[in-house]
Amino acid sequence: MTATRRSTIPQKLKKWASLTPTYVLLGLWSLFTLFSILWVISSSFKTNRELFTTVWTLPKAFDFSGYITAWTAVKMGQYTLNSVLVVLVSVVIILFLSAPVSYILTRVKFRGSGLILLAFIAGIGIPVQLLYIPLFFILTGFQVINTLWGLGILYVSLSIPFTVFILSGFFASLPVELEEAAIIDGCSDFQVYWKVMLPLASPGLITATIFNFIFLWNEYQIALVFINNPDLRTLSLGLYALSNSMQYSGDWVGLMAGVVIVMVPTIILYIFLSEKMISGITMGSVKS
Amino acid sequence: MKVRKRMIVLFLLPASILYLVFFLIPAVWAFYFSLFDWSGFAESRTFIGLGNFREILGDDLFWSSFKNTMRILFLGGVVTLGIAFIMTLLFSSKIRGKKFFRAVIFLPNVIATIALTTLWAFIYNPKFGLLTNFFKLLGFEDLSKILWTSQERIFYAMLVAMIWIEVGFMAILLLAGADKIPFDFYDAAKIEGANALQMFIHLTIPLMWDVITIAFVFWSIWALKVFEFPYAFYGIDTPTEIYTVGIYLYIVGFGKRAPIYRLGYATAIGVVLLLFVIVVVVALRRMMRREVYQY
Repeated sequence: MTATRRSTIPQKLKKWASLTPTYVLLGLWSLFTLFSILWVISSSFKTNRELFTTVWTLPKAFDFSGYITAWTAVKMGQYTLNSVLVVLVSVVIILFLSAPVSYILTRVKFRGSGLILLAFIAGIGIPVQLLYIPLFFILTGFQVINTLWGLGILYVSLSIPFTVFILSGFFASLPVELEEAAIIDGCSDFQVYWKVMLPLASPGLITATIFNFIFLWNEYQIALVFINNPDLRTLSLGLYALSNSMQYSGDWVGLMAGVVIVMVPTIILYIFLSEKMISGITMGSVKS
Repeated sequence: MKVRKRMIVLFLLPASILYLVFFLIPAVWAFYFSLFDWSGFAESRTFIGLGNFREILGDDLFWSSFKNTMRILFLGGVVTLGIAFIMTLLFSSKIRGKKFFRAVIFLPNVIATIALTTLWAFIYNPKFGLLTNFFKLLGFEDLSKILWTSQERIFYAMLVAMIWIEVGFMAILLLAGADKIPFDFYDAAKIEGANALQMFIHLTIPLMWDVITIAFVFWSIWALKVFEFPYAFYGIDTPTEIYTVGIYLYIVGFGKRAPIYRLGYATAIGVVLLLFVIVVVVALRRMMRREVYQY
């Protein structure tokens, strides 16, 4: 007993010693990331004077004036509403459109199915900037230019390739036996999809939804190009406007508060769902 | 069988219509637009054939933007994927808190780009930024006086920030590929007397080759069309030192504070960008093609 213990302690020490560089490197990287984000949150409760003079300390008293500035200087309330509306509706529609496509193209073999799948996924490689000007005319034609409807339509169609990419990976990984069993049990083709395959693919659906939500919530490029009306800005685009005006006026605290307002929803979502998100990344990519 | 056909059509149609009208058709249409001299949305357009592309050849600002994009693609790619690989290697030793580290490293990817550019604007701020204060704290007066966002440094200052974000994504992508390799393989290799580095080179890399390929392709596509971070990195007037092709296209097409509306020319730049994506992706696929090990 003692003999074995004697031999394991140096072994453990050795193991710890060999792992030290790993912990140091990963630790420093994580520390920097966490510190930066916490520092932004802490700064948003300071006064501008405090921020410029005492960089490292926590705020002396919680000062909410930054939030009041951010909320009133630009219409943060309105932008939040716009973002919630456009992003939530888009995310649901993306799923409703992309799941059937991914299912049919991976599970039902027919002539050209591989080619169609490729055509859908190829969209990932098309730079969105190429589409700016043609889309401008198409949206004008449908009379949805400079509207949240138009923005939503773009969000949906531009997210289809990546969503199909992720979901087709999930559907392709499901075993064939389940479908066969369902058919023997008397399920119609549609029932097989709706009652058997869709629930089985739910981890993929969840992953895709989280990704689309976070991506669309944070994106500002498409909104910048297609939304001119200040009332229709999304939160992310609003933050861009805020950052431009605040950096001019030097009101960093107001800007930090705006940053926190935009950052918090996705971070909270991430704290609860990071496992699902991360595990989903390769599920799609490995299989395709 | 007839039912099945109807189902196929029904399942494909809604998404296909949207995808065609708002993605593929505009992409094809762009090729047509790129052949016109066309300024302003109200103006009429004149067909000039490949005139726009000829102009691109002699456009210095395009080429400096292109150079930046290439630096992000290659230099940024080597550093980002290099760090991501090292992290994969570190993670593959059995460490505690793996999930925690993984989640934190990925974290910047879920935060709005403008929030991140604001953070970095403050980090680099010459008067009261974190970096200046950090060097002052350590007593490096010289380092604390450096202007990180000066003309000659701003590109690299920005690149560092982008690498910090993207390493998270790439590391998680590679790591998930590495995690799929069964543990017995490593045990077997250990019995054969392989060390950690040998196992990484001869076991991990070949077995996750498909994931590595995807990481390279994703990186290239991302790098070639990158817009949001550099565009917002330095306030309202993005300096030309950090223009990417995507930014230059936007400036030419829509302008910043003063609109330019060179619609034909902007679209031609987009066509060049797409051609580069195709060239890079095809080249990558060829270079990376090798037997994928089934296990």
